[in-house]
Amino acid sequence: MIKHLFKLIWNKKKQNFLLITEILVSFMVIFAVFILVVNYYQHYKQPMGFEYDHVWVVNYQSDVKIKDKDSLDVYYKTILSNIKAMPQVQEVSFASSNVPFSANTHMNNVDYKKVHVNRVNYYTAGDAYDKVLNMKVTEGRWFGKQDDAATVKPVIINRTLRQQLFGNGKALGEKVGGNDSKRIIVGVVEDVKAKGDYQEAGLAMYERIDTSSNDGRGRILVKVNANADAAFESRLYKLMASNSNNSGIEIEHLTDKRKTINNTTLIPMIILLVVACFLIINVALGLFGVLWYNINKRKGEIGLRRAIGASGDSVSWQLVTESMILATLALFIGIFFAVQFPLLNVFDLPASVYLTAILLSVMFIYLLVLICSLYPGKQASAILPAIALHEE
Amino acid sequence: MIKLQNIQKVYRTDTIETLALNGINLDVAKGEFLSIMGPSGCGKSTLLNIMGLLDEPSKGSISIAEQTTGRFNDKQLAKFRNQKLGFIFQSYHLIGDLQVIDNVELPLLYRDTNAKERRRLATEALEKVGLSNRLKHFPKQLSGGQRQRVAIARAIVGNPEIILADEPTGNLDSAMGNEIMDILLQLNRNDGTTIVMVTHDENMAQKTHRLVRLFDGSQVQ
Repeated sequence: MIKHLFKLIWNKKKQNFLLITEILVSFMVIFAVFILVVNYYQHYKQPMGFEYDHVWVVNYQSDVKIKDKDSLDVYYKTILSNIKAMPQVQEVSFASSNVPFSANTHMNNVDYKKVHVNRVNYYTAGDAYDKVLNMKVTEGRWFGKQDDAATVKPVIINRTLRQQLFGNGKALGEKVGGNDSKRIIVGVVEDVKAKGDYQEAGLAMYERIDTSSNDGRGRILVKVNANADAAFESRLYKLMASNSNNSGIEIEHLTDKRKTINNTTLIPMIILLVVACFLIINVALGLFGVLWYNINKRKGEIGLRRAIGASGDSVSWQLVTESMILATLALFIGIFFAVQFPLLNVFDLPASVYLTAILLSVMFIYLLVLICSLYPGKQASAILPAIALHEE
Repeated sequence: MIKLQNIQKVYRTDTIETLALNGINLDVAKGEFLSIMGPSGCGKSTLLNIMGLLDEPSKGSISIAEQTTGRFNDKQLAKFRNQKLGFIFQSYHLIGDLQVIDNVELPLLYRDTNAKERRRLATEALEKVGLSNRLKHFPKQLSGGQRQRVAIARAIVGNPEIILADEPTGNLDSAMGNEIMDILLQLNRNDGTTIVMVTHDENMAQKTHRLVRLFDGSQVQ
């Protein structure tokens, strides 16, 4: 019977062309939506790589006029020690402006021998940065006093960058960068999803902040106790204002920043999903209409099949199967185009994202076509053969 | 072979009730070729549909091949039609998107017959009606008479005991009509197939064993 239906569909290829095209277009749209959803979901289920609860970000604009490096070093370290002396503060560290969940990004390339890696996030971090964010050091160590006298700038990289640069080889002690800007790797940390729950951790390199310079700074990360309240926040603000001698101070909480940055990912996705939903409803109505029209056009055939031995159920089964075969033909074409994405690495996403999206889209289209054909199929099974044959 | 007892058929709408058949009693013997005649709207096709289990009577009972079909469910009716009955229609009812051979194979698709056997039986049926050279043609490439011969091949491919023909020559000129009638007579004579034929053509009806006349839903002869 399946072969018979294939033959019937093939012989009506002109009539079926539009329906196949409609299913194909639906598949491609659903595929695009699923790529986004699967990609975000895969990122979402990855660990954050750090703790953001009770971490505050102090934004300040230092207009300190100190020129001497030692004095400047003392000045900044005094600010840190003053903050840390507050009873609600557990840890405190300087940071560059691209703190977790901020929109700021500092990117550069990294070279190691013949390996060239693009789009590496550069972070400037203080000696307690890892403790403030409870980051996990997997190899080597975080920055410390032993780096004060370092002749080659120490850096710490994340696990993904380590993998790209060294694979399974040794990373610690290796030097990266050009001849004039060599850096030595002293530690490797777990990946940190600094751009929110739904974005990938990416590649990261951490440099030690230089407190004897005004460069590469602008944020202070403060890990506070659970009982740190608005009164404490006010005291912290006043402390910073008295130290930095200006009013450009803002205190943010990482939990709030996380919500904000997650929304920047989620809102466009939700809008896309709503648009896709409308499209799917349109496609479903279109499919339903075409199948309904086909049944009315084929009443004579249905009547004949009933007369020569088809039961109502087998007529219904035939029409649903025909729709599923049409969907299969459309999906063959759709899958051919869809597999080009991982093969050509179109959006630099893992192949698993595309393959999962293809699988989900195929299931979705089959389900959609099944739902759209069930009712017309049932209606066809209810057609009385004598009436159908008479109408023809 | 076919026994109709006190068959009544009423079509009801919200406002009108139409009595299409009233008290029809009819016995068709095995191997008989019966024709049914009557003016348009007298209930000939309704009677044939009821005999073919395509429609249900409002009252009365039907027995075909010694089986009372009144309590059959949809699947049993379908199986019974497939195995015992063959249909020929005035407008052929061929599927235009299928080749001649595929049209003839159709009844066998609803049986457990493999593809090779289906092809063999369909080819044999087409040979019987003289169309073995048109297997790969589509219905629109055939004349009216050839189309009706395909329909006859489709009706006999499953080797049914009864053929029900609803004005099989109605759309054909007299020469083609005679050809079709000859095939039906041969089937009746050679294979012993019981045939019930609705016709408007007195000459065709005279060639059959028995003639039943209907008028306003009642049997008058």
